[in-house]
Amino acid sequence: MGNIFGKKKRSRVTEQDKAVLQLKQQRDKLRMYQKRVNLQLDKERLLAKQLLKNGKKEKALLLLKKKRYQDQLLDKTENQISNLERMVQDLEFAQIEIKVIEGLKVGNDCLKKMHEVMSIEEVERIMDETQEAVEYQQQIDEMLAGSLTQEDEDAVLAELEAITQGDVLLPEVPSENLPELPEESEEKPERERERSKRKQEREMLAV
Amino acid sequence: MSFEWPWQYNFPPFFTLQPNVDTRQKQLAAWCSLALAYCRHHKLYTLDVMESQESPVFNNKKIERKLSTEAIQVVFEELRKKGNLDWLDKNKSRCLVMWRRPEEWGKLIYQWVSKVGMINSVFTLYELSNSDDTEGEEFHGLEEWMLLRSLQALQTDGKAEIISMDDGKGVKFF
Repeated sequence: MGNIFGKKKRSRVTEQDKAVLQLKQQRDKLRMYQKRVNLQLDKERLLAKQLLKNGKKEKALLLLKKKRYQDQLLDKTENQISNLERMVQDLEFAQIEIKVIEGLKVGNDCLKKMHEVMSIEEVERIMDETQEAVEYQQQIDEMLAGSLTQEDEDAVLAELEAITQGDVLLPEVPSENLPELPEESEEKPERERERSKRKQEREMLAV
Repeated sequence: MSFEWPWQYNFPPFFTLQPNVDTRQKQLAAWCSLALAYCRHHKLYTLDVMESQESPVFNNKKIERKLSTEAIQVVFEELRKKGNLDWLDKNKSRCLVMWRRPEEWGKLIYQWVSKVGMINSVFTLYELSNSDDTEGEEFHGLEEWMLLRSLQALQTDGKAEIISMDDGKGVKFF
């Protein structure tokens, strides 16, 4: 089994990974050391208390001195651990930076290739041609529009007028009080609508 | 949360291997699930046949019954056949219990790793099973052999790679 994995390992684990692992291992060792010292400290504190109770002040003092020294050691290891961790983070971040650069490089290459396809002269030519085509189209539009508008303009205007007049006349608000019965109230606007429609038609005919 | 014993546990004949084949099979199945459940509840990973005879699983003091060493071995052998157990020595006195299969552990670990956004990072085995970061995760305190097996399972899936260094092992997740 080991052999199969061995081949793969070489391909995916980089030197940096190994370095990070080594740093982390070192950190783990320091953590273990911390745990050990902490346990020892607790034990010694208890022992010192007991010695004091038994009246052995000298020995208790000695123990406390030892404990103080170990406290200092603990601080030092804490510093070292944070050093190691910073190093690990730096390494990891450097790896990320490399990846970012790689990504930028790929993007850059791609852009370059695309620019090669798209030369400036080509773009200029295409833009010119487009401009020409637009002008041409405008000319056609003008020609067509010129021949049509004169005839239809009047008809369009007349139609517009008819519609606006009809609109003005449309709403006929009932002056009487609104009838109580729902049936009538429904009927009335219908009749009105019909009337106005008819009026509109008449006007259209007149026009 | 205390461990819930099955009804058979207070049933004296349960502690004697039954001669009838059918009954015996049922009995063994019950023993297997009891042993696994017990190990899961107490997070036990390594068992010793002699020691486990004294543990409450195989020794019910209330009804004064205990399973014999031979019977325990039979139960363990049954578990081995099911893939939940591996003997550590030829005499079959110590064994590794897998109440969760390596693949399942691997999945749990991988889930955690992706949750904390540490895919593509390197871990030491100690870090995974003992650091403060994994405190409260199910695989916290997992024994190293079990951890290694679950990582190997992840490795076959291509989700991790175990790195061996002169002192200790590490793993990188993908």
